[in-house]
Order: sequence, then C-alpha cells, then structure tokens
Amino acid sequence: MTSVDEALSREVERGMTREHLLRRAAALGIVVAGGSLGPLAEAALAETQIKRGGTFRLAVSGAGASDFIDGQHIVAKSDIARLMTGWDRLAYIDEKFKIQLELAEELRAEKANQILIRVKSGIEFHNGKTLTADDVIYSIRRTATTKLGLFGNGAFQSVDPKRMKKLDSRTVRLFLKRADVTLIEAFAQYFQGIVPVGYAPKSFRGGPLHTIGTGPFKLKSFTPGRQSVHVKNENYWRDGQPYFDQVVITNFPDDSAKVNALLGGQIDAMTDVPFAQVPVVRRRNNLKIFISQSGAWTPLCMAVDQAPFTDVRVRRAFRLLANRPQMVAQGLSGAGRIANDIYSPFDPAYAGDDFPQRKYDPEQARSLLKAANQENLTIDLITSPADTGMVEGATIFAENARAGGVRVNVKNVPGGELYGPQYLKWTFSADYWGTRSYLPQAAFGSLAGAAFNETHWDKYPNYPRFARLYRQAVATVDAKKRAQIIRDMQKMEYDDGGHIIWGFKNLTDAHSTKVGGFKVDRGTLNLNKYGNGFRTIYFV
Amino acid sequence: MTLWRGIPGFIVRRLLLSVLTLFVVSVIIFAATQALPGDAARSILGRGATPEALENLRLELGLNEPAVQQYLYWIGDFLTGDLGISLAANIPVTELLSDRILYSSFLMLVAALVSIPLGIVIGAVSARRRDSAFDHTMSMTTLGLAALPEFVVGLTLVVLFSTTIFQWLPGVVVTEPGVGPWHYPKELILPTATLVIAVVPYTARIMRASMVEILESDYVEMARLKGLPERLVLWRHAVPNGLAPTFQVAALNLAYLAGGIVVVETVFNYPGIGLALVEAVQSRDMPVVQALALLIAGLYVVLNMLADIATILVSPRLRTSLTAR
Repeated sequence: MTSVDEALSREVERGMTREHLLRRAAALGIVVAGGSLGPLAEAALAETQIKRGGTFRLAVSGAGASDFIDGQHIVAKSDIARLMTGWDRLAYIDEKFKIQLELAEELRAEKANQILIRVKSGIEFHNGKTLTADDVIYSIRRTATTKLGLFGNGAFQSVDPKRMKKLDSRTVRLFLKRADVTLIEAFAQYFQGIVPVGYAPKSFRGGPLHTIGTGPFKLKSFTPGRQSVHVKNENYWRDGQPYFDQVVITNFPDDSAKVNALLGGQIDAMTDVPFAQVPVVRRRNNLKIFISQSGAWTPLCMAVDQAPFTDVRVRRAFRLLANRPQMVAQGLSGAGRIANDIYSPFDPAYAGDDFPQRKYDPEQARSLLKAANQENLTIDLITSPADTGMVEGATIFAENARAGGVRVNVKNVPGGELYGPQYLKWTFSADYWGTRSYLPQAAFGSLAGAAFNETHWDKYPNYPRFARLYRQAVATVDAKKRAQIIRDMQKMEYDDGGHIIWGFKNLTDAHSTKVGGFKVDRGTLNLNKYGNGFRTIYFV
Repeated sequence: MTLWRGIPGFIVRRLLLSVLTLFVVSVIIFAATQALPGDAARSILGRGATPEALENLRLELGLNEPAVQQYLYWIGDFLTGDLGISLAANIPVTELLSDRILYSSFLMLVAALVSIPLGIVIGAVSARRRDSAFDHTMSMTTLGLAALPEFVVGLTLVVLFSTTIFQWLPGVVVTEPGVGPWHYPKELILPTATLVIAVVPYTARIMRASMVEILESDYVEMARLKGLPERLVLWRHAVPNGLAPTFQVAALNLAYLAGGIVVVETVFNYPGIGLALVEAVQSRDMPVVQALALLIAGLYVVLNMLADIATILVSPRLRTSLTAR
C-alpha cells in the first residue's frame, strides 16, 4: 500500500481533494478503509488544510506574579509555554520519546566521557547574530553555573565548564569529569535552550539579551501573571514554519475560568482540563479533548531503613496491598494507567512490563506480614495535596490495606509540612515526580546523595551493587548493553525497593477544532509539547 | 472640651474607634502571615527549601528579629507608603497592585452606580404598591437572590449567556495589560451583573421596609390630605426620609463588594485585587497578601464609618439627640 500512498500524496501536492482521491482510489479498485488514506497522503492532505497566519490564543495555569521568561529555566507551566515560543535546543525528544537533532547537526558520545557537538550552519538568533560554537559553550556553561539555580543544573554534574574545546566555528568537544551517557538526553530536554553569548549571565529574571533565542517566535510584550504576546520569527530556520503570525499566552489562576473561556471561544486551547469538566468539553462539536500519556507518578514511599520497612517482606506485602486499577479509576478519575513499582515507562530499557504485574492480594500480604511478625500493623501515611493523586492514592491505599490487616492512618498535611523539616525523613509518605528516563531519575531519587532520596535506598544492604551498576550504565555507550544493566537495576528495585508506584498519569488538555497539527505525544509537556513550540500547529 | 460634644465629638470618637479597629486588624493580619507558628520562610519555599535559601529569605523577611520589632517595622513601612517587595515578582508591591486597584475600583464603581439607584427604586415602588403583584414578585425574587452566593450567580450567568445556552457575552475577561478596564465594556457586563445581583436585594428590602414605615407616618398622611398627587408624596416627601437606613445598607454593601470581588474576579478571571489576592495566597507572596488584606479591611472600616456619619447627618432625630447632650 505504501507505493499507492506515495502516489496519492503526490496527487495531493497537485491539488487533489480527499473526495477526488477516494474516487480515484475506487476507480483503481483500491479499497480504502473508513475513508482514510495512507499516512503520507494524510499528511500531505493535512498540509493543504493549513491556513497560514492568525493569532493563536492559549490559556495556561501560571505562578502569577512570579512568572518569568528564560531560555533555560522554568518553574510553572506558564514559564514552560513561554520558553517553547522562543528557543530551540541542540536536540529534542519527539512524540515517541526518541531523541532527534534540532540545532545540532551532530551530537554524540565519542567516548563515555567525551561528547562532540556540531551545530547547523546559517542559523540566526532573533537579533540577527549567527549561531556559533561560542554560543553553545556559553549556554552549557550558564546551566552548569550552580549559583544561578537553573532547572537543568542537576543533570549537568558531569560537565566540566573549563574543559570545553572549540574545534571550529561550529564544533565543540566536551571532556566530562566522569563517564556520563545521560548527558545527551539532558541536552534534549525542552528547557535546555541555546542562548547567545552574554545572555542574562546573573539571573533568570532578566538581564542583557534575555529574550533572544533562535526559536519560532520573538517576544513582543510580557506582563508576569497576566499575558505575553509573541510574534512570528520571519527568519526562522525551519522552512515554512511557524504558521501563526502571533501567539498570545494568557494566565488563568482558576481552571474553570479557562474552560469557560474555551467554551465561549475566547481562547483556542487550554492546558489541564479539570476531570469534572471533561464531559462538558466533549459534548461540543467545535472542541476536542487532547490526552497525552505521561510518565508522571505519585508514589507512596517506604523508608527501607526504618521499622517496619527494614524487613523486605513488609515492603513486598505493602506493594500487594495496593489495588492499582481502583487507584487509577478513582484516584485519577481514570486519567492514567496502572504501574508496576518501576518508574520511567518511556525509557527504552523500561522493564516494568516484563516483570509480573503486581496484583491486589491481601491474603498473600497477610501471610508475608505474619512471617515478618508484623500482624495487626498500624502506621501513619503522610500525604499532601501538592499534586493530583497524592491524597486520593493514599486514601484508597488505606482502605485497600485494611483487608490485609494493616491500619493505615492517612495524615493529609499542607505542602509546607510534608516538604518541611521532616521531608526525606518520613517513614511512610507520598510524593510526586515528572517524566524522566531511568538513569537521570535514579540520580535524582535513588542514589546515595541524591537530592530526593525518599526511600533511603542507599541504606538497603545490597545497595553497593545498585551503585556499581549505575556507574557502569552511565559509562556504557552501547545502548543494548546499557539496557541490560538498567534492567538489572530495575529488578533490584522491583524485588526489594521502597516505592509503591501504582500508576502513571495522563495530561488532559483541550483545543478548538479550528486548530490542527496536534500529534499524540508521550512525554511530560501539555498539548504535544505546546504544538512543538507553536510551530507545528496551525489554523485549518 | 467641646471637641467631645455634639456632632464633631461624634465624628472624632468614630474616627478613633476606626483607627483602633484597623490597629487590631493589622495585628491579626501580621500574626496570621508573618508570625505564623512554625517558619514562614519554610512554608514559602516548600520542597525547594535549601538551608541557604532559607537563611536568605529569613533575612529578607526579618524573621530573625523579635515579633514585636518585626511588626513595628512592617506597620511603619506600611504607613509611609512602603508596602514592601513582592516575594514572587521581586518588584515593589505598590507597582504590582496599582493596575489591579484601578481595575477593581472601576468594577466596584460601575456596580455601585447601577445597584444603588436600582435598589432604591425597587424598594420605593414595592413599598408604594404594597401587597401588589409587583411587591410580592420582587419580595420573592430578592429573597431568593439574596440567598445565593456570588459564585453561583456568576457561574449561572456564564452558563446562560456565554457558554451553554447562548453565546452572546464573553464569560471570561481576557484583557491586555496596561489597557484600562473601560476599553472592555462587553467583558464588564457579566461581572457587573453578578455584583449587582448580589447587592440589590439587600438595598431594595431595606428601602422597602423603611418606606413602608414612612408611608404610614403622620406627615405623609398630612401631605396626602393636602391633596398632593401620590407620585409627589412618594418622591418628594417619603423617599428622602427613607434614605437614611438605605445609606447604611449601601455603604455596607459597598464594603461587602470589596470582599465579594475576590470571588467574582476569580470566576471571571478579572484582573483586579481579588484575583491578585488569590494568586498571592497560592504563591505564598506574604507582602502582597498583607497589603491586600489590610487594604480591604481598611476600605471596610472607612465605608462603615462614613455610613455612620452620613446617617447621623441625614436623620434629624439622631442629630438633635447628639447636640442635646
């Protein structure tokens, strides 16, 4: 069918409409299922529907007055949306969670501790300056400057700011402090924008050149907490993009107001439709609910070095006391899918689907607890409404646990208390995480010295093996071999770990049917990564 | 000591009482925000609380000083017009709020200009046609509306006029920063209507009650006996006397509007002080919360005071009782 598809797509380029094509296909004796053509022809057809120009209006939840715009830092969703208008990265993570080159023409680990970067030629910043190796070095050094506190800093620990060598005007070689293959993925994170030399060196809240990037839109005006206006970069390096003349991003502190603005046609798209309002939006012919599977998770965390969790049988019993389908159905209103105590579902080495799926089994849990001499256990579970699913998950777990003879007292406290002085010291608590690949996530949450080691995994007797595997993995350039090592690490966490990971969450957004080009995305950002920086979406 | 006698004395006492009230309010606001049990800096920083960031913020907030000292600094700055620096935006609170105050004042003004005359007219006419169909309908309607919270009224209007039933009016206010609210007449309709619906029932009911009493009084009877047309009796003789209690209610309602806009602004995303307050609470921006809480409380106290004074001035009976003492 592919050759037919190609032929049809060429016809589209010649100006044929869908009706013409279907008639022609019928004349040729080709059965077209459900009126849909091949993927190439569909894409070509979509291309013909693009109406260039117009102002795209997006509503986001913001942090109010503390909003800012920076090519390398984010806090709230409003900051993310704005960053996506103005900056490109060396590489990006596509809809299938694969790394693709963007500004870089070459980006690879020559050795486990040496990375080569070459940027494309002829790319210009918003102020007309040409992108060179110096800008790449400056950008990496800026993120690596710890005292600036940029979002990507944690992932740049292996970067040695003093040992970046400019080979020619477009090429840089990095000599790392240690082997670190995760750095390639770190460069592809959406917040790792490439900025020009001299860009806001002291703060992410402004400074010289702070609105300058290479991205599809230039900043026209910005009032924190209210609104920003972005105009098309006429000189953008990707041919034909972006399609909109202008993008307006408006902050809405209240989610229902966003929905009302969408229903009333005052905006074209919004992030995070509240669960209760999804049916209201669905009923409208001119609106569409857009769901992205993300890898975000809200685990229950057992400290492996504190009683009763020092006994691995208790940890295993607790993992069997989670009725995962119920937690997803009720805790997330069905907007998610069940998980198997392993994080990072989009990592190519993810093994959570290969290990047997843990099921709700109060009987077996009871016998494990009996063996561990922990019958009729009573325990406090600390949670907080810091993220959706944290309180709901904890509450349902407490109900589930009763059947196993465990009394769980859910303590719902303000975020300031959960993340207060006791944070990372609780015996049993809830927490939340976004989407990351396995090794970067382990560096954040499981290794000794990790910033948020909530299960105290480094106190687990067999931890040295885990640490050794990690060091081995980040030094292994061969992806297949690395996947095997990561699998061994996951097996350790699956068998003996302290996380109860019961589900992964969806992102639920909505947009007007007047806007086309959104592609189903697995990842961490709303609305197909904000229409991939507002350049792959358009009015139809 | 003539200062304490008569009407000037009353005004002076009333002023002092207002100042005392504001002082108590300021202590409560301060205690509830800055001198929180536990550590305000930690509750502001949440998960991102590194020891370094904590110490910096504590210094910035002056948390290492005794509470009384902190309060004196704060109120001293406040009285000299220095509302502090917004923790979230890192700019002076006054700069952050000036635009917002303009937006809220305009909304309140428009709501007051519509609701007060409307309430007076409905009340007066209901009293005049007591027990008529009009009176009963109005009585039921105002009672029903008075029982509804603003967010129910606001959301109902949105459902009716902008999203589900008809799509005539914008249900959400999307404005361009730096552009005055009067450039958005269409966007203002629903928020104003919500506030009007929240306030008119009270004004109308009080107006009706006081008018009913007045219409039965001797001097109105006298006017009627003189053969004046009923219209003249109502608007020339009865209404001016019925206004005193209505003043009270109108002022109270204005004060109420100052608080009510928090809800209304949130429903309509109207960029005034109410929305600013909600955002500041969400981002734990204490200087902004403190400034807005004191501002709204201050407005409440001042409007109440003005209402008391105005009532005294327009009611002859109260006026003479004060001077006689």
